[in-house]
Parts: sequence; C-alpha cells; structure tokens
Amino acid sequence: MSSDVYIAGLGAITAIGNNVAECFAALQNERAGMGPITAMNTIHRDKIPVAEVKLSNEELAKMGGLSAELSRTALLSMVAVREAISDAAIADLDKLRVGFISANTVGGMDKSEDFFVEFLADNSKGKLKDVYDHECGSMTEVVAVALGISNQMTTISTACSSSANAIFYGARMIKNGLLDVVIAGGADALAKFTLNGFNTLMILDKAFCKPFDENREGLNLGEGAGYVVLVSDQVAKTLNKKPYCKLSGYNNSNDAYHQTASSPEGTGSYLAMQGALKKAGLQTSDISYINLHGTGTPNNDSAEGIAVKRLFEPDFPPMSSTKSYTGHTLGASGAVEAVFSILSIKHNMVFPNLRFETQMHELPFVPETELRTNLQINHVMSNSFGFGGNCTSLIFSKI
Amino acid sequence: MAANTHISATCSISKQSVSKNGKALFTGTEASMPGFLVEVYKHFKLNYTRFYKMDSLSKLGWLTSELLLKDNFDKEAYAPAEVGIVFANANSSLDSDVKYMASVADIPSPALFVYTLPNIMIGEISIRNQFKGEAAFFVSEKFDAAFIEQYVNNLFDNNIFKACICGWVDVLGNDYKATLFLVEKGNGAIPFTAGNMN
Repeated sequence: MSSDVYIAGLGAITAIGNNVAECFAALQNERAGMGPITAMNTIHRDKIPVAEVKLSNEELAKMGGLSAELSRTALLSMVAVREAISDAAIADLDKLRVGFISANTVGGMDKSEDFFVEFLADNSKGKLKDVYDHECGSMTEVVAVALGISNQMTTISTACSSSANAIFYGARMIKNGLLDVVIAGGADALAKFTLNGFNTLMILDKAFCKPFDENREGLNLGEGAGYVVLVSDQVAKTLNKKPYCKLSGYNNSNDAYHQTASSPEGTGSYLAMQGALKKAGLQTSDISYINLHGTGTPNNDSAEGIAVKRLFEPDFPPMSSTKSYTGHTLGASGAVEAVFSILSIKHNMVFPNLRFETQMHELPFVPETELRTNLQINHVMSNSFGFGGNCTSLIFSKI
Repeated sequence: MAANTHISATCSISKQSVSKNGKALFTGTEASMPGFLVEVYKHFKLNYTRFYKMDSLSKLGWLTSELLLKDNFDKEAYAPAEVGIVFANANSSLDSDVKYMASVADIPSPALFVYTLPNIMIGEISIRNQFKGEAAFFVSEKFDAAFIEQYVNNLFDNNIFKACICGWVDVLGNDYKATLFLVEKGNGAIPFTAGNMN
C-alpha cells in the first residue's frame, strides 16, 4: 500500500521561460523576468514592476489547444500540464488511474475584472461568460475536461502554499493506493485583484525584489504555472526513462498567528521544515539545498530565516530564493519551485539568489549569489509559506 | 450512525444586550454598535488587546465566543485539532468591505483589508484559543438550523472534531446579531438539534 512516489515529468511556464528548458537556461544565466506592466490596464502600470509570462492569451491558447476567451490562469495551466504529461511519456496512460490536482488563488478573476468594468457602469451590460469561470475550481475543470482526466480532479487554494499542497496531496493519494499517476501543481495569472491586494498590504517592492537582503522592501508579483507528474513505484518501473527523483518528505503546519503575517519566530515554517525532515527520515545535515519561500517581504524573510536558523544551526546548506527570477507566482509558486528544486537534483546545481547585497542582521547566513555547479545534490527542501499561516515544506530526494 | 451530541452552552449578543444560557447577563447603554461592543468588553473585564484591532464582525464573534466558553468549557479536555468552528451569516464581511472601499479613495488601509473575509473572524477566535480543528463559514440569507445540525453532526460522526462552536454572527452598519452554541459529545439536557437552536 505505501508506495514511494516518483517524479516522472515536469512542466513550467514563468516570466523566465515558456517551458522547463527555457526556465532552466534563464536560471543558469541569471536572467530575471521582471519588468514594467504591459498587459493589465491598471493605475499602477508604470509604478510597480511585475514578472509577466511573455505570451499573449491568444498565443497561450494556441499552445494549449484551448479557447483564448478563457481565463489566463487556465491557459497557463494547460501549457504547463501538457509539457509535464509529454515529458513523463507514460505508455498507456489511459489505462491507469490518473488524477489532476491543481492549485490556484485567483481563478478566473482576470475575466471577472473585465466584466465588472461594463457591469458597474450599466448593470444590463457585461458578458456573463466572463464570470462563468470565476471560481478557482473552474480552472482545474477546464483543463481536466480537455485532457479527459476523470478519475480524480480537485482544486487546492491555500494562498501561497497552494501548489505545494497539491503535490503533497497527490503524493498521499498515490501512497494510499488510490491513484497510479497524479498531475499535480498549480497556476495563477496576474490580476488587479492580487496586485491591489498586495499593494494595500504595502508589501510590493517598487524595484526588483531582493529576497533575504537586509534592505529588502517587498515582493514582485509574478504569474505562471508549474506541474509535476507523480507516479507510484509500479508505474515508475514501466517508464522508458529514469524518474527525476522521489518526493520523500512533506509537511503542512500552521502557526495560527496572523491573517497575513508569519509569527516573528517563524513557528509555522519551523514546524513544516521539521515535519518534512521527519517524514523523509532525514537530518538537517542531509539537505543539500533549500529553495526558500523567500518572497522579499521584510516579514517573510525574517520569519523564514529565523526558522531556518533555529532548525539548521550551526551548519547551513546552500540556499536561494528563485522568486528573484520569477517574482511571486502565488498559487503556482510551490510547484514552479518544486520543478526548480528537481532541476537542482538532476543537474547537481544551486541557482543564485539575484540582487543580494547585504546580510540580514538577525541571520548568521547569506543566500547563494552565484550559480554553483558540480555539487552533490541529494536532497532538496522546497519551502512554500502562505497567508493564514499555511506553511508547507517538500523534500525531493535523488534516487 | 447518528451523532450523540448536545448543546452545553449558548450565548447571544444583539439589541444592546448579552444573554447566556437563556439568562440576560448585561444590557448596555451605548446606542452605536462599535460603542456597545467596547462596553461589553469592558463590562466583562476582558483583557485581550488584540480586540481593539479587530473589525466589528470579529469583535462581535470574538466577544460572543469568549462569553460562551467562559465557565462552560474545559479547554484542557481537548487537543487543539479536536475543536472546530462552523459559522454562518447573511452579510459575509460586507461591513468591512464597504469601509475598506471607502479607504481606497485615499490610501487603502491594510488594517481594514485583512478583515475583508468573514472567516477571518474564525481565525481570530482560533488564535485566541489555539483551536486548530475543522472550520467552515457559510453565507445564507437566514440561519439554516437544519443545515448546521446536519453539517456539524456529520463532522462529529466522522470524528473530524470532538467539540464545536457553531452559530450565527452577522454585522452590517448598525445592525448586529450573534448567537453561538457550544456543542459537545454525549448526552446532555439540551440535545443538539435544529429545533433547539431555533
């Protein structure tokens, strides 16, 4: 019953690349994806940088084989899901029990925002089809129906840890013998809803974000999608190529402290990392790299850093926040960073934390500032901590 | 399997008065809702500075839950994950949504923004008591006691929690009404039924 869970395929689309290979190249070449807002019609256009995927809805729709009228969240999702499935290349996929567990936080909000411009001016106006797919669950359904996945389909929305939890949940379904294959991850498109919300909370940096820097001023919002194909050990044996790695540990903890802030001592983050290590049967010294949540907000990086300090002191593995490339892709971030963590294992590399200058006064460590290659990367911890105190850590392990 | 559950306490705050287990405890003099909520806080000598940061909905829900649990709840008998909260109301967080939208014209207020979801009230009560059990918030035009009975008992039946605070907390403008029930397992004088909630 208790199968190991292997990663058989990867898919990603972010501001630094339209597929995994492009993202990987950008990670190595230190090419960040932020820039001025070009797509959204907002008063913040020239004031706040974001990390946009560099394709229009029409281009995404064409790549994914969906209607360009759908929410950008669903369009991003479809592109990365198709890549992950194709990468896994599982023979006779239609004969297996396949689940689709997809996360997002904005749902079809981009279309709803269009609808309300006309509707508020005249409540007999506005295209109702623009609000039809407003719900987060609609994003999952659109993709699952197009792909014909019917064994299990569910949506997880737990703020910034959403897609890490989707991977976590997918793994548990395989471990318990309920599914053979799970496509797990998440997507989120930029929306005024999230831009204005984070702006209200005063945690958006007006320049490119500087995670884990003493002088960090906030996050940059990003968009994208990331998916992994999880398979049972039985399916792993039938693959034409070696799986990337195993998902060996996972934990979700909550510090029940504040709606939108972590406790100063990072209790939730600490418990999540500790729980994931325990689940994997590993010690802190076994971790080769931590892909930090590292949003670049004063609160997150301080709380996460203190939790890492408490758990790992005195020996710290290499660490970095790849949000310095992709911005914070919210519901997609856990899965996008899971993909990057898996690339770290596959290529024995640690990606740098861009724009880092000054060590945080409360921390005894600094993140990696240059690409490191030829390392022995055995176990990577990927952190995703969300509003509401919803903290998740995943651990991927070399086979 | 039918849940064997009972109501071990009830607390209501509405129309400038507080009652518990059917008995009037306090009648205030403040006509405005915000003034009355502070009056209740002071009258019962509650001491939780976080109270002053909350929006009106959370203040009302928090006060009702504090008075509900006072003297009637053995917190030590339950693990944090064994206590759940199931609330409903008609106006969601609209009272705070309207205030937040008014602030957007000037500088959007982070302090108002964080309360623009009704389940934040459940979070406030959970933080206060360190409850970590199942929580849900439903929006319906009127209190649907039959639905709440079925929903809560189903969670008891499936061992999702061992105690639950459920009921109605609604605020809009100067209108407010809260009635909460503490539900626990076993036989009691008042069985947990829709009829007994109404």
